[in-house]
Amino acid sequence: MEKSDFIGRDVVSIRDFERDQLDHLFDSVEALEKQPRSLNDILEGKLAVILFFEPSTRTYSSFHIAADNLGMKVTGFASAAGSSVSKGETLHDTIRMFEGYGADLFVIRHARPGSLRFAAEITDVPVINAGDGSREHPTQAMTDMYAIRKAFGKLDGLKVGILGDLRYGRTASSLAYALSNYDVEMTFIAPEALKMRPEVEQYLEQRGATTKSETDLKNVVGDLDVLYVTRIQKERIPDPTEFEKVKGLYQVNLEALARAKPSLKVLHPMPRVDELAAELDATNYAHYFVQAAAGLPLRMVLMNFMLGGAS
Amino acid sequence: MSKREAGEEMLVRKIEQGTVIDHIPDWKAETVAKVLRLDKLARMQADVSVAILQNVKSQSLGRKDIVKIDRWQVDERDADILSLVFPGISVNYVNEWKVSKYQARVPDVIEGRIRCPEVSCISNAEREPVVTKFITLKRERLLQCHYCDTLLGFDAVPDHVSG
Repeated sequence: MEKSDFIGRDVVSIRDFERDQLDHLFDSVEALEKQPRSLNDILEGKLAVILFFEPSTRTYSSFHIAADNLGMKVTGFASAAGSSVSKGETLHDTIRMFEGYGADLFVIRHARPGSLRFAAEITDVPVINAGDGSREHPTQAMTDMYAIRKAFGKLDGLKVGILGDLRYGRTASSLAYALSNYDVEMTFIAPEALKMRPEVEQYLEQRGATTKSETDLKNVVGDLDVLYVTRIQKERIPDPTEFEKVKGLYQVNLEALARAKPSLKVLHPMPRVDELAAELDATNYAHYFVQAAAGLPLRMVLMNFMLGGAS
Repeated sequence: MSKREAGEEMLVRKIEQGTVIDHIPDWKAETVAKVLRLDKLARMQADVSVAILQNVKSQSLGRKDIVKIDRWQVDERDADILSLVFPGISVNYVNEWKVSKYQARVPDVIEGRIRCPEVSCISNAEREPVVTKFITLKRERLLQCHYCDTLLGFDAVPDHVSG
């Protein structure tokens, strides 16, 4: 497994990566965390174009800082408002325009499912999917897996619960796809209306992944090594009355974790609303700030791999 | 001419040029017309006529439907899509009274003929220059959108044919 496996490729779906590639990525992130300045300015002179058609805090900032640390020039926009997109410019034309300005890498978030597969077909410049509607968020899944590995030193043999909005939450589907590379037992905990989408279940079944479904966290919390909590994606639920039915259905707090193993780690891709209580922040369960921080070195290593910088 | 053929002949004459779609499950001829967008075709091609026979006696099916399209050869890609929905269907091309059977096959990829059922999929975005594309999962009798991964059962294809 060589870094060259990543050169020039797109990161559209986490399914495009195999276990040895992911392990190699994680090993390199671990090395970077030990020597945080080792990649500084390694991509000097390259241009990163970050196009966020949907707003973001963590993902946008972490890509921006990661590109800055690598020495890249950064341009683009953090939201469609104020850009030509608000005048009706298409994704296609926006990409072609920045391609003409000499982009070496695109990082794109877009509300429409499938938009990043399309983006990767428009341009030969490598593209990173920073979230395409309710479908995928591959660099978040990489970050999540790295954070789990950091806590347990491994991924194999773990029992991972994924809780919340599994239907519209792109981080949940990407994480489930990614974990199918490892010997992980996955439990999907969600109300009926927010169950995993059929295509995710179909893929996991085809891969022979070990999965089960639950509607109530308390039935399984005692078995879990990792609990991955997600926010209900209010902005993606087409019918507001559906949102009213499911909002507030679950909250992870000390009471909900009363029967959890002391070694349980709780992750959350953030932002949280009311599904994850602040009272957990000071406990050993809380792993979500470690997880968020891991996004920066992970994105640095990934971009460096894609653009073939020296290591 | 067999007695059965003579019975059909009494309803609709043989055609010199065009397509005969046979062995359609009973009362499903309208679904075939929908997949082939025959209403649109008839509006655009003034000399095309379409005959739909329903509830015709059949040795193999008991009862069946037949669609005859006079002066129009159905595109092979559309014939292939029909074979997804109705695996037993026969598509026959008629050229100067001579009939040749088209061997329909389930395509691996279908481009540009079916809309993604996920309304927010990029392939449904009006102004983006994107052509819909589906991958066929034959064993599961499903199509999967190349862009957003949404699944579509073969049986649901007629409801998602592009206008």
